[in-house]
Amino acid sequence: MKKTGTVCNLLMFLFIVCLLTGCWDKEELEDKAYVIGLGIDHSNHKGQIKVTLLLANPEVGSMQGGGGSTEKPREIITFDANDFIAAKGTANAIISRNISYELLKIIVVSEEYAKGSGFLTTVSDVQKDKEIRLDGHLAVSKENASEFFLKNRPKMETRPHKYFQYMINHGIENGLIPDSTLFRFFNTTYRETELYLAMYVSAEKNKHPKVQREDEYMAGQVNATGELDDTQFMGAAVFRNGVMIGKLNGQETRIVNILDDTTNIKDILIDLPDPFSNKKKQISARILKTKSNKVKMNVKSARLKIDITVPLKIEIMSNPSMVDFAEKKNQHIVKRQIINHLKKVNEKFFKKTQTKLKGVPYPLSMYARRYFGTIQEYKKFNWRKSYVNADIRVHPNIQIIDYGKQTKSLKR
Amino acid sequence: MKQQLGKLGLREYISIAILMVGAKATEDTPIHLFSKVQNASWMIPILSAGIFFIPLFLLLKTMTLFQDKDLFSVIQKLLGKYLGFMVCLLIFLISSYAISFDTRSYANIIRTFYFTTTPNLIIYALLMVVCTYGARKGIQHIGSVAYLVIYLSVFSLWFALVLCTQKSTFQAIFPIWGPGKLEILKQSSQKLTLFADFFLFTMLIPFLTSIKQYKKGTWFAFVYVSLQISVAILIYICLFDVGMDGLAYPFHTAIRFISIGSFLPNVEIIFFVTWLMSAFIRFTAFLYLNSLMFGHLFKIKDFEYVIPSLATIYLLIGSIPEAAVNASTEFKALSLNISGPAFAAISIILWLAALLKGEFKREKNRNSM
Repeated sequence: MKKTGTVCNLLMFLFIVCLLTGCWDKEELEDKAYVIGLGIDHSNHKGQIKVTLLLANPEVGSMQGGGGSTEKPREIITFDANDFIAAKGTANAIISRNISYELLKIIVVSEEYAKGSGFLTTVSDVQKDKEIRLDGHLAVSKENASEFFLKNRPKMETRPHKYFQYMINHGIENGLIPDSTLFRFFNTTYRETELYLAMYVSAEKNKHPKVQREDEYMAGQVNATGELDDTQFMGAAVFRNGVMIGKLNGQETRIVNILDDTTNIKDILIDLPDPFSNKKKQISARILKTKSNKVKMNVKSARLKIDITVPLKIEIMSNPSMVDFAEKKNQHIVKRQIINHLKKVNEKFFKKTQTKLKGVPYPLSMYARRYFGTIQEYKKFNWRKSYVNADIRVHPNIQIIDYGKQTKSLKR
Repeated sequence: MKQQLGKLGLREYISIAILMVGAKATEDTPIHLFSKVQNASWMIPILSAGIFFIPLFLLLKTMTLFQDKDLFSVIQKLLGKYLGFMVCLLIFLISSYAISFDTRSYANIIRTFYFTTTPNLIIYALLMVVCTYGARKGIQHIGSVAYLVIYLSVFSLWFALVLCTQKSTFQAIFPIWGPGKLEILKQSSQKLTLFADFFLFTMLIPFLTSIKQYKKGTWFAFVYVSLQISVAILIYICLFDVGMDGLAYPFHTAIRFISIGSFLPNVEIIFFVTWLMSAFIRFTAFLYLNSLMFGHLFKIKDFEYVIPSLATIYLLIGSIPEAAVNASTEFKALSLNISGPAFAAISIILWLAALLKGEFKREKNRNSM
């Protein structure tokens, strides 16, 4: 009797296994084509957009130690559609597998389309779609998004999902591109108080790039030669209310990333003017930010006053003037120099945002909220208007934690 | 009632209470709160708990007079046969309404985020079948399973919340008073429904070893749950800020957004499974409570046999709303506004009835004798 019971139970477990297929939502990896990159361009047909899908082949690179298939790692198609949700269906006329947005990493919009008014309504479909995750990133490309994907041929990382993941992660860690998740896009657009930064990308190199000081480049301007792929991720496109209004170069984007506590920067390598030479030499330094900013505001006065204290830890990496950093005097000079430099650069940048962009490119308004009791009072204060006329002071709080491996340098 | 009644332990009772009430942080309740009081909505659970404390305290005081009697027996004893029956029927109808649309909203969540092409009715029916199976096993089994699941479910919820804090900005809770202090007070008195389940738990008193144990468990669960819901909403606010207005289910949107480091993105399935288990317990217990009430109302001794039919009726009622949006905004919002205040009022009426009838005095005399 007991035996029959056990057998019955086992049979029931076997029956439950059938349920694991998920009934209607049965999915097979073989049958799926995952869209990694989605391109949106202006279309010549009225009311339509040009959609580009970058599809990854899940079979490539999944085998350990070779022996994988010889299929291509990716496939790119471009066509006109009403929106990118219904485009999944249309694309199945060309792609053999079932198309899914589940692993969408990056949405690339051409600069031309991002400047138009249609962009916001198009991208809002992301919120309605059930597959797209809000941790995907938004990027603006100099050329058409369809060309961007075609020209982007990475040499080492041929699997597109890995390529974009690494490119974006390291770009953000180095501070040269903003952490432009879709989540942030919608939050910023809902909040209506600040500007949104999307990463600026290009797969087209400028014909005659100007040589500039470190990092004052936009994507496509870095002059690199050799055996490489021309795709560059650098700088940011500025959006106000979902419409692109301007650009920031790599250096300005880095300033924003250092100021913004909501972005996770790791450590950033920068150049500072060398205080010991008059020949425009530069010291390289590593900036670490471990603590959050302290922001004080005076919202009661006629003109908004903002005091931002930025705590930074700095490691000096090079010593072009060959000075002895073991001496207290030299340490003081360097420290003062860095403070003055950062203060100048940051305040200049804020001035630019007030006059040119007419808004702050990171959630600074969050700090203003605590001075108000209710939402109505805060709305009446009108952050956007107050910010443009605000008096902003930046106080870098520097701690030099390292002067390099060797404090004494060679004598000239 | 059956003679050999298995008893429910204290920790099992607490587990059931936490799973049933605490789960409200993970469905669409936070959105209902947010749409009214925006970034101050994290205060509502605490304030409501403060307000609901009074009727709950009075109710428990009244219940202590009748050692080991359940809610419906007490109501019928205090309010008489006919009036008592009407009040009990009202309680049963309200909680039936609530369970119908609560289960529907869970089916909606599962369909929206995880099984997008499966028909809603299939998911809904499966949910009800599992709950019926569990409820048929009786309250002792529900209690043991709840105790098995409670650590996992509480841990995974807090883990998800901690992961959310990585991406959130604390300043989002300012301006601290949201739309104004008066509005907050008004809403927290309306949203007593958050804790309405505690009123229904008084049906379980005969299953516990003593009313003292019951009181201990209730107060512990009450304090913990109000904190849990409040902290959860606070973290949603910090994460989504004003963007929360457009969401339907913040917990599930959040777990789709977070990741454990960069190696483990897309971790929602871990949280989904534990969430699903606690959802099963929640509705199993709720279904059992409802059938217990039904059995009491219509003097059905073996009320376990009506559970499948009740579940079917709830399934049919829950299927009335056409789309997920209607279920949440029209049907569920109604129960969210009504049942709490109604239960609070009944508790106070019971206490008044006991006071007027002199039950408290009699108790005192009995004690002094």
